[in-house]
Amino acid sequence: MTAFAPLNRRSFLKTAAAGLSAATVLGRAGRALAAEPINFATWSAAVDTVKSHIGAFEAKTGIKVNYTNSPWAQYRETMITKFIGKAPVDTLWVSDSWLPEWADAGWIAPVDQYKTLVDNSDVDQFCVDSMTYKGKQFGNTYYSDYMAFIYNADMLAKAGIKAPPQTWAEVVDQAKIIKDKGLAQWPVLISMAQESWLIEFMTAMVYSSGGHFTDDKGNAVMQDPANGAGTALRWLVDAVQKHKILSPSCVETGELAILKAFSSGDNAFGLIPKYRLRTLNDPAQSKLAGNAKIALMPKGEKGSNATVGWMRFYGMTPRAQADAQRAADTVKLMEWFGGKADGEYKFQKMLFKDVGSGFGQKSLFNDPEIRAGYAAYGDVDLIGKQQSLARKKDVVTPWFGEWNDVNGTAWQQAIMGKVSVEQALNTSAAKWTELKKQS
Amino acid sequence: MTSSAVGAATPRLRGALSYDERAALLFVAPLAAVLLAVAVFPILYSFYISLFSLKLTRPGRMPFVGLDNYVAVLSDPHFWLAVERTAYFSVLSVAAIAVLALLVALLLNEEFPGRRALGAILLVPWAIPYVANALMWKWIYDSNYGALNGLLYQLDFINSYMVWLGDADKTLPLIANAFVWKEVPLAAILLLVGLKTIPPDLHAAAKVDGANALRRFFHITLPQLTSAFSLVVVYETMMAIRHFDLFFILTEGGPGDASHVVAWRIYVETFRSLSFGTGAAMAYVLALATLALAYAIIRMLARRI
Repeated sequence: MTAFAPLNRRSFLKTAAAGLSAATVLGRAGRALAAEPINFATWSAAVDTVKSHIGAFEAKTGIKVNYTNSPWAQYRETMITKFIGKAPVDTLWVSDSWLPEWADAGWIAPVDQYKTLVDNSDVDQFCVDSMTYKGKQFGNTYYSDYMAFIYNADMLAKAGIKAPPQTWAEVVDQAKIIKDKGLAQWPVLISMAQESWLIEFMTAMVYSSGGHFTDDKGNAVMQDPANGAGTALRWLVDAVQKHKILSPSCVETGELAILKAFSSGDNAFGLIPKYRLRTLNDPAQSKLAGNAKIALMPKGEKGSNATVGWMRFYGMTPRAQADAQRAADTVKLMEWFGGKADGEYKFQKMLFKDVGSGFGQKSLFNDPEIRAGYAAYGDVDLIGKQQSLARKKDVVTPWFGEWNDVNGTAWQQAIMGKVSVEQALNTSAAKWTELKKQS
Repeated sequence: MTSSAVGAATPRLRGALSYDERAALLFVAPLAAVLLAVAVFPILYSFYISLFSLKLTRPGRMPFVGLDNYVAVLSDPHFWLAVERTAYFSVLSVAAIAVLALLVALLLNEEFPGRRALGAILLVPWAIPYVANALMWKWIYDSNYGALNGLLYQLDFINSYMVWLGDADKTLPLIANAFVWKEVPLAAILLLVGLKTIPPDLHAAAKVDGANALRRFFHITLPQLTSAFSLVVVYETMMAIRHFDLFFILTEGGPGDASHVVAWRIYVETFRSLSFGTGAAMAYVLALATLALAYAIIRMLARRI
């Protein structure tokens, strides 16, 4: 029998401390030995497609990727909490709306030094603008899309209307004809509900009416009768209260509800994100299948066919750039997703096929597969032309989120007739100016 | 527990407390530590950050501002408008809950065939999670395809679909309706328990004295229910003042500012603007106001018992 020394408290504590120290040292060494994967964060969209593309990347490069995703509705807050908590993130999906906020906070870093990421020769200008802040580019394209004017061709034919409207005044005229003939109670569908889409709906109206929220220096001009947002808001107010072609419920009807309502075939015109065109023409999901057509955005008196485009891109964190090898691996992953993979825009095409997502690369409009895909439900040339007329939002600033709540409330109050158009826009402009001064 | 384990306490503590008290302390200590970590610390820490200008989007800058956040909150006219809306929503909801719950409790207190089945059915709204309840009412109230419009249209009560949540004048009563539907069952159970405690002799004696049902209700049932009523009123008032889920899912504060209640403003300030300092100050104001109101209601009702 072996004799053991008696275990007293002192010897137990010594042994435990030595064990803990050894475990810590070995753990650190182990982590250093095993290459840490690239940490890639996204919101929960096209998860299986992303996973399969990551699998292909890992097989080709041998670089491991740690992929995490969280719901879109909480994504901004989730990522900010991760940044504050210094959670490991190397590359991530970023919305153009958050770029100034995240860039100023130092959570994402410019990528100008990585030449392959900033080769924009094939990228739409509004996409480049949407990824650029203070003269620096902060990523490469994930997907982009724009707000489109979509009409119900069958209803227009029944009303004896030969062509979709060219101007917002014509939208009113045609909607009245449709309403008078009893074809639709509310011929026009535009969402003005308080949700993240609201600014896109507003901006599409403002741009096509020839207005702006801000000038080139970022000062509020939304309240300016000549160049502001008044024409667009006045049109909405009149559409609800005077012409009764747009339901007062637009202030509670979100983008998804608009899609469902338009799918029922009971409306004539809708402002709808372009990628929804595929759903609207899918017989399994829409009574309108085959009759949902895109037209160029109607013009205001001083306006154009401009619309608002939005952009989601792959951003890179300072953490990734702090280490040369990690930076190189992260760039490879960003190229694989946002650029070409094996010589073609593979991920962009996968997304297009899966959910009809738009893209920022101009040459894809000439890709046979994309053209064939679009041809099933839309006029690909018109879709491309409208994209070329898309512009980034002019309100994307570090204080956008705070201003957006006040602005949305003000527009809704005007639409409900609680305040005048001028009062609403003055409130919005005053908040903008206050926040700009504070920044 | 051995005496050696308890003996780890300091000699001074050992002298001041009995063996049983020290043993009790030791048993309670783990739970107390958990409560300190998950309840007391967050409460104290949230008060601490309410004294700073803490904005997550401005990392590294957190100046001490003392009570400035409280001053800013209390001098903001939008906050007081939110207080008005919260008061309106709460009074409307609690009054409706109290009346409906009393009627349900009186019904369930009677003996009739199917009473148990009815009781079980009436509990269904209480069992539905708040978010599911809100999504259900969103579908019912939808102005384009909602069940409410469909029903009223089919019954010829309306000629065309009505705007419900999108009408600023209807928004708060409609949200209150969804809140009442969810809360009535619990309130009814609490009142039913109160009804069961009323001695049958009181009613029997009153009957002998010639009191009719109405007089017995006002002179026996209602006074005997005061304790249960105070519990219902305090609990439901606190629930209504702090309620957030229905506002978040049904209207997101809209249309316009029609459903900007205090809880909604706290959410916007804290989780959209990420201004944790001001958000914490606003939450403290709400918590203190709720506490004061609950105390006042309890005192007022206690005098009547």
